[in-house]
Amino acid sequence: MASDGGPWRSTDSRLVGSARDGDASAFHELVDRYAGFLFALAFSLSGNAADAEDLVQETFSGAFRGLAAFEGRASVKTWLARILIRQSGRRLRYAHRRQAVRLPLEATAEPEAGGSSPQARAEARIDVTAAIGSLSAEHQQVIVLREMQGLSYDEMAEVLEIPRGTVESRLFRARRELRERLKDYLE
Amino acid sequence: MIECPEPQRISAYHDGELAEPSRAGLEAHLRGCPRCAAELSRLRKMSQLIRAAGRAEMPREALERWHRSLDLQPRTAVLHMAEVFVGVAASILLVSCIWLWKISTARDTAVQIPLWETTAVAAHDTSAIATQEQQLAQWIVQDLSRKNGND
Repeated sequence: MASDGGPWRSTDSRLVGSARDGDASAFHELVDRYAGFLFALAFSLSGNAADAEDLVQETFSGAFRGLAAFEGRASVKTWLARILIRQSGRRLRYAHRRQAVRLPLEATAEPEAGGSSPQARAEARIDVTAAIGSLSAEHQQVIVLREMQGLSYDEMAEVLEIPRGTVESRLFRARRELRERLKDYLE
Repeated sequence: MIECPEPQRISAYHDGELAEPSRAGLEAHLRGCPRCAAELSRLRKMSQLIRAAGRAEMPREALERWHRSLDLQPRTAVLHMAEVFVGVAASILLVSCIWLWKISTARDTAVQIPLWETTAVAAHDTSAIATQEQQLAQWIVQDLSRKNGND
């Protein structure tokens, strides 16, 4: 997220307040606003649409139940991302880490410079997705939040509830690990 | 030549997260250090690779499902509260049953008076009908009485 909450931040707080007071349509409005962002984040973390959809549903359910506890110190977007990250971490700890490649069949590839063939691009997508999926949960999170969601270090620190210095060092180590897995593409 | 910075600083510079005095110094270093410049190049290439892996389009029907599941939330919350109340009521009932059972068994259980006490204070001679144990108890009591000069 380029800026935390953007122009919606003041209305987000108002919607949360209304939802807390029992206005169901207010929470539905929040769902419409952040479903896309959360789905993209969930997909990056889980590697497939089905798990991503479940993650987002669990996030919205958790947020709905936790409305009373939301204090407004973070933006709604950060708050939702935080819930999703926690859910994702729980899933990873509960399930065995799959070593098989997770095919991003639904992914829409962004245009890539160099004009490589569609097959080469598809192979690269598979390898990159598998490489990210093989990282630890902590490394996966910082890579996804930085490289795919474009969050700043301060925003990542807020979402992950860790110091900014930890974000920087964790991201550095994650990149080192990822570079090892993708060295064929980088050299 | 200025000593190479820690690779982590190059990573932070790549993310645009290096504060101004450090950033200018690193840029000057990069201009003259092929090794650090290569490190930065690898970071950029990796970021491009990851971005090129693409983002997933959210299915429209997924959004509708999430809205529908939220419409069920209030009912789910009421059911959850009902479950909690039933659980509490069941616990209270169980504790009450156990308490009542303990009280009733306590009343039913007669206090067992030691055999020798009944024999010692018996108003009449029970030796004729006494069991072996009762006879033994009587002998002990008689013996004790003789020793105390009460015979």
